[in-house]
Amino acid sequence: MSIIPEFLMKRVYKKGSLKQTEDGVCFDLKNVLGPGFISGFSFVKINDAIFEADKVKFLTQGSEIPAEAVSEENPIGFRLGQEGTLILQGAKCLRDGINQIIIELMNPEAGKVKLFLSDNFQAA
Amino acid sequence: MLQNRLMQVTFDKNSLIIDGKRVFITSGAFHYFRTPGAELANDRFMKLKAAGYNTVDIYFNANYHSKAQGEYDFSGIKDVRKILEAAKEIGLYVIARPGPFINAEVNAGGLPFWLLKNKNVIPRNKIGSEYHYSQEYMEFVSEWYDQIIPIINNFDNVIAFQIENEYATDDMDEGYMHELYQMARERGITCPIFHNDAYNAGLWADLVDIYACDVYPYINPNQNWKQDHFCFDTLDNIEDNVRSFKEDAPIFIAEMQGGWFDKWDGIGYKKMRKALGDEHINIMTKTAISQGVSMFNHYMAIGGTSWDDLACDEVYTSYDFCSGIDEFGNLQPNFYRAKAINYFLQSFGLENTGERENIEFKQENIYAVRRKDYENDCSWLFVRNMNQSAFHASKFILQPFDMKIMTENLQLNACKIEFSDVEIFARLKNEKDEVLFMIADENANIYLEDIGLENSTSEGKKIVISGAKNDYDNIKYEKDGKTTQFLFISPKLADKTWVLNNKVIFNADFVYSNGRIALSKTTEIAYFDLVNGFSKKYFKFQEHSETLDLKNFEMTFCAPEIDTYYDYSNWERASGALDSLSVGKYSEFIWYKAKIPNFLEEITLSARHLFAVYINGKEVLNRNSYKYEKLQQIEETISIPLDKTILNKAQNELTILVQNLGFDKGFSGDTNHPRGLVEFSVKPNSKIDFYVQEKFSIERGDFRESENPYLTKLSTTFNVEFKDNIVFSKYLSLENFPYDRATIFLNGVKIGRYLKNNKNQTLQEKFYLINTFLKPQNTLDIIIWEKESNIKQPWDFKFEMKHVIIQVGDERIHQLY
Repeated sequence: MSIIPEFLMKRVYKKGSLKQTEDGVCFDLKNVLGPGFISGFSFVKINDAIFEADKVKFLTQGSEIPAEAVSEENPIGFRLGQEGTLILQGAKCLRDGINQIIIELMNPEAGKVKLFLSDNFQAA
Repeated sequence: MLQNRLMQVTFDKNSLIIDGKRVFITSGAFHYFRTPGAELANDRFMKLKAAGYNTVDIYFNANYHSKAQGEYDFSGIKDVRKILEAAKEIGLYVIARPGPFINAEVNAGGLPFWLLKNKNVIPRNKIGSEYHYSQEYMEFVSEWYDQIIPIINNFDNVIAFQIENEYATDDMDEGYMHELYQMARERGITCPIFHNDAYNAGLWADLVDIYACDVYPYINPNQNWKQDHFCFDTLDNIEDNVRSFKEDAPIFIAEMQGGWFDKWDGIGYKKMRKALGDEHINIMTKTAISQGVSMFNHYMAIGGTSWDDLACDEVYTSYDFCSGIDEFGNLQPNFYRAKAINYFLQSFGLENTGERENIEFKQENIYAVRRKDYENDCSWLFVRNMNQSAFHASKFILQPFDMKIMTENLQLNACKIEFSDVEIFARLKNEKDEVLFMIADENANIYLEDIGLENSTSEGKKIVISGAKNDYDNIKYEKDGKTTQFLFISPKLADKTWVLNNKVIFNADFVYSNGRIALSKTTEIAYFDLVNGFSKKYFKFQEHSETLDLKNFEMTFCAPEIDTYYDYSNWERASGALDSLSVGKYSEFIWYKAKIPNFLEEITLSARHLFAVYINGKEVLNRNSYKYEKLQQIEETISIPLDKTILNKAQNELTILVQNLGFDKGFSGDTNHPRGLVEFSVKPNSKIDFYVQEKFSIERGDFRESENPYLTKLSTTFNVEFKDNIVFSKYLSLENFPYDRATIFLNGVKIGRYLKNNKNQTLQEKFYLINTFLKPQNTLDIIIWEKESNIKQPWDFKFEMKHVIIQVGDERIHQLY
């Protein structure tokens, strides 16, 4: 149950930002909704590959935050207009064409928030 | 009936224009259903008006008026015409919000229960977030609009009309919203139509006349907003954001945080008020003005009570909302902060300001904006400090979590304010004289230039006046036969200073528009106007406070439904699903009775929200199934093993009592999510015929006593003396109440639910004895649904009832002038 409709949540994802990295995948987020907190990253799923929190980092405002370090007791602020890159390590799972992305995170006001996204990727 | 003089309401990008005049809309939200009756509405509206609000925002709750299809009750305390008349007579504009969905933390979001029972109806034309158009739902909307809009149309003080509320679907199909707009216009709504976007995302901006949105930076009671210096981000960017959706209409915050609601698993209003403080509303409102907002509505400005079955399942009886005017009608510190801003706006308007200039300071967490004011030919500098320490700028000092509106280049009658961080509280003005009431501040100054003669003795070109002043200190200048006077009041005195009808009254608890004042203690009152200057009057009287200790309770077991010989043959037989919508029983308490054979091994059931199972008159389970974890409601299904010691007859009698705390409010869930007995099965599988009834026996007028000890009624009486010159609010205090669950009735009207939550906390111990339901002689019934091990007979309860008191706060009314 999210208090923000899914179609609005999807706006947080920066379309076209999906990239293969040396040991995984990354993509960009931008908070266009309003200021808030992330109080946990559960997992990110890209196609069939699941990235648990220990394989996820959030790069924002010059600092790299391991997803594991984010919790109810240690939430991270995500300001309106703030951008960040979600870095997923451990699997190169992108396919040419449309890729399905699921992000599950926690928010102190909305509880569990699940984002269903898709983005196009073409290998260079 | 009031005569309808056609008022013309138009707008441009800056403001609403009413009968050709620009008006800055300062509105406060009020729920007539939670503050029942015209007399209470009148009291609250007078307080709203006295605080400088010019508008009241009113949700119209279809559920409150319609208990059966085709039936709408607008009589007695449900007569909204009287509410609208009270607003008009007091001189308030009205923002009308008839939904049909209103949220407002009311049961089913304001949709009638009979509507939700109809399986063909898709409430709000959506399931989850998917759009599904429902003709049957639109027929209800049409029926509701046919009822409510002709009433609204009788009042010419309605300045804006809202369709739906906080509405969004995945594909944002415009069909439903477009139809609502047309339906309103076809029924004669002529004022601007808006919708309230909960997400600041420009939803429906092209479809309505004025785009409007919610702004609630504090929705998590565990959050310390003073540490989250970015919690005002949305508000800080609202002008650019709204302008990207709608260029030709004023910026309207249809719900601007004036407090917040507490929940069953919340922190309690006392703690929440402390967390918000009075700084929050000051920052919210001044930031909004700095962003060019010219229409705002403090939600809520007036607290209320979710008496009867008004509440959705999330909230308990009190809907105090930490509002400026609290649930009991008392004025709180945030009321005074809002009052000061409203008076400033009354004095200077600010509905036609120019481009916003963002000012950067080196220190972080400082927000600063300058706006040119074309009407007053000056500029206003808005500065906010979100740091833990004071902010020292070259010309001013700003305390932590304070926000000020500072004056720049304001030409007055006899001088010009070059700069002032002494804030202006209000201004009285006629063609010749003006008085600026300034809020004394020892760290602030007024920089004047072009000054005339000071007290007719000296003259100077530039001068700095320190804001370190005592109450009533004043300085007067004269130039070209005109005067400007600065009169200082401390923040404390400012709270008790009132501007009404070109008069300023000092030191009163409250001031009515007809020259009457309310006082709670012996006080000297000063009052001022431009013609007569200062006058003073001393009011001496015996202070009065009252605590009534309730002791003489009569006690009776009061749930005959549980008794085995109870005749339920006239109850309705349930066929199919047993949830409350399916069986058509929508009240808080619903009874199920059935015969069950002795070979059953197990009963499995799920019920919302609290329930008890009795077999042959004995309780076998008592459960609170209202649980939230990580903000998700936990559904639970429970199995009860049965044996011959329980099923000790060939035909056994099963009784289930379910307490439905309310339907979903429909913001992110669905209003028709089932309540009552939502699952029931037996092992081995057998057909069980249930009979259903709603409400407690005393509510139904079934006054039989009972042999079972599980629900006990404690009754007492008390008297109330009504006097014309005394206003009062009374509440029942259940501090240290020894039981977990109780339902409170005042003269037969359900006025409260006392309930310990799953953390064994009681967040509400004070229950408002709503004045509307009070009589000279009153009966108070408290039904306790609980069996303590030491309770063998009703009389045993009396030893536990030690701390039930009624407390009274009152104020005396005096004629001042």
